Amino acid sequence: MTLVHNWHLGRTMEYPYFESRPEHQFAAVFNINRCIACQTCTMAHKSTWTYSKGQEYMWWNNVETKPYGGYPQHWDHKILQLLWDNGNNPMEWYTSAKDKDETKAPYGLYNGDTIFELARTKGLNQVAVGYIPDDKEWRFPNIYEDTAASEKTNYETGPAAESSELPEHKRWFFYLQRICNHCTYPACLAACPRKAIYKRKEDGIVLIDQKRCRGYRKCVEQCPYKKSMYRGETRMSEKCIACYPRVEGKDPVTKGRRMEARCMAACVGKIRLNGLLTGDYRKPDPKNPMDWLIHIHKVALPLYPQFGTEPNIYYIPPRWAPRSYLRQMFGPGVDEALDKYASPSRTLLAVLQLFRTTQTMLSRFEIEDGEKIFESEVMGKKVEVYNDTVIGFASDGTEMVRVKVEEPTWESDEKRMITY
Amino acid sequence: MMKCLLRKSVFFGSTLVALVFLCSGVTFSQGLDKEVSMEENIPTSEGLTVKYIATDLNGADRALGQADPYKLELQIQDLAFPNGGGSVQEVEVRGFHNGETIFFGIKWNDASKNDRAIAHAQFKDAVGLMFPLETVKEISPEKPFSPRMGDRGKPVNIWHWKADWEKELNVDGGKEHMEDEYPNMFTDFDFNPDPIHFHKETYESVPLMAGGISAGSLLSQANRGRSVEDLNAVGFGTLTSQEHQDVNGKGSWSNGKWDVVIYRPLETSDENDVKFVPGMSTFFNMAVWNGIEGDRNGQKSVSIRWRPLKIETVK
Ligand code: SF4
Ligand code: SF4
Repeated sequence: MTLVHNWHLGRTMEYPYFESRPEHQFAAVFNINRCIACQTCTMAHKSTWTYSKGQEYMWWNNVETKPYGGYPQHWDHKILQLLWDNGNNPMEWYTSAKDKDETKAPYGLYNGDTIFELARTKGLNQVAVGYIPDDKEWRFPNIYEDTAASEKTNYETGPAAESSELPEHKRWFFYLQRICNHCTYPACLAACPRKAIYKRKEDGIVLIDQKRCRGYRKCVEQCPYKKSMYRGETRMSEKCIACYPRVEGKDPVTKGRRMEARCMAACVGKIRLNGLLTGDYRKPDPKNPMDWLIHIHKVALPLYPQFGTEPNIYYIPPRWAPRSYLRQMFGPGVDEALDKYASPSRTLLAVLQLFRTTQTMLSRFEIEDGEKIFESEVMGKKVEVYNDTVIGFASDGTEMVRVKVEEPTWESDEKRMITY
Repeated sequence: MMKCLLRKSVFFGSTLVALVFLCSGVTFSQGLDKEVSMEENIPTSEGLTVKYIATDLNGADRALGQADPYKLELQIQDLAFPNGGGSVQEVEVRGFHNGETIFFGIKWNDASKNDRAIAHAQFKDAVGLMFPLETVKEISPEKPFSPRMGDRGKPVNIWHWKADWEKELNVDGGKEHMEDEYPNMFTDFDFNPDPIHFHKETYESVPLMAGGISAGSLLSQANRGRSVEDLNAVGFGTLTSQEHQDVNGKGSWSNGKWDVVIYRPLETSDENDVKFVPGMSTFFNMAVWNGIEGDRNGQKSVSIRWRPLKIETVK
């Protein structure tokens, strides 16, 4: 084991390999607030990569309803329970100003064990605590769809007896969009005794070498997000490949420029923005939309940072779900992120317009000021909306998209209405 | 808690410094493997003699019956991480050659027959024989040879018999498929009588998208024509299947016992294969995997200490 820095945890942690960050890191921001659970992303993935025999149960992208849903079933409950270790590892965070650091510890300091550290402390026969989900657990990719959690049952409250108000709804659920996190410290990679899994230096994408894999299922066992899957037909494991040919710019549509992954580009709810983070987390580029949302504005947060893999899919948490649940899921950055999202800054409003406007990965944005168009108050805070223009550029400097904060609308000619 | 964390960092900080010294030039360090013990490099005094008996494969079972049995005690593999095995305590091996081919007959107790690895937590039974690739006259603390699947500059040749490959020798099409494990399943491309009504390019892309099959892995292929894989290694985690497969075998399970025969020409033209010359001596080591226990990779019951192997001269 060596010591590596995990900025999600605000500290160094144990990992079997030395810290070796990629030049750029494949990443995405998912705005949970906007997801409609249409599963277009899921089908985009399915029809691209896992339509063959032995992959029937495989959903490299899935959208599950929280808190009850999960694919494989109970994956997060189970791994949290393992990590909880009968209360011996309470997964606490220190979040006072002195525990924080702008780049190295933006959310504070995690003072529990990660999946790697707990395996070591307990002397387990694993690099990271984990389990292999059995066939039953993979059966229902969308179990408990739209099932709400509530303090009281319908029977007790009667239908619509209470209305829901922000900041927390009494009856709530939300959709969690999940793909492989192309972690900075992948547990799948650490678990493989054959080093058949590698993380690419150029873009941080984590891949299983199908020539070296021997189907030992250690990655399936130890990926805490359960995104490495065994394919019985080929007797080896497979996982999300981040559509790497697209990321490399091999698809002719984007003329050699990097292209968003399929599940990202297909998103109907426009909740996804896919791009590359600057490799050095200490030097985020304020003009890179990924760096800005994640490192600078901190409105998008990692999923279960306490696992310790430094996952690279970042989420804007849902506004209406209980904060305690969200803190457990996205760490202590939740309150700041939600404050920022509820009364968004001019820049945030502009950058949010970039989501799903182009298939080309954007590596830079510029904002041109527009006039003020709206003013309101959200939970005691003043919100002003300016009709700014945001311009997105590909890494070669080409302007790919130019959109305004206010969506343009057109009214149909009256005559046209009459013909119907 | 905070103090404890700080203490932790100081402790691991110093460990790190130590590791950097130990592994300078090495880009990673697992640091989880057990130290090499003296015992590992002291072979047992008793070993296996491969008799000369002039018979072929058809007479192999009878010939093996005539050969002297040699028993190896097995133990949990706790040298390398992850550890495991230990559920099989003993394996019995006999050997003979006919001047052209060398045969090993192997028997061990296993209450459950596990000859499929298709479902998530389904693992197969297997047995492995390991030989130093080059002929080794002496293994001792002064002249060490790692029983941990060899070492850099000291490769081993491993013959790995697999229960699922054995079964697949005798099934239609030379391979078991998903539907053998899940008889009620349905897949579009395989079960539809007229798959051409699917998008042609998608239909034709199926073999390309088959991961291990398109990567040419023996594990994924149908019609391997053998139940033993011929491999090399230079230490844990380096196991590599050979381009040229030369080892064959047959095995059967009955009454809680596996009975496996593994055979190969004494000499092959492949430089990655161990060479056997009548009259010579070398060493061997064994491992058994018990599928029901989830055994795979380093999770295996092993013999650890090298055993002398003598090949009788042709009479
Ligand atoms: S999410 Fe799982 S499979 Fe993906 S890189 Fe992280 S540990 Fe590996
Ligand atoms: S396509 Fe977008 S909106 Fe639809 S389920 Fe997926 S993430 Fe949600």
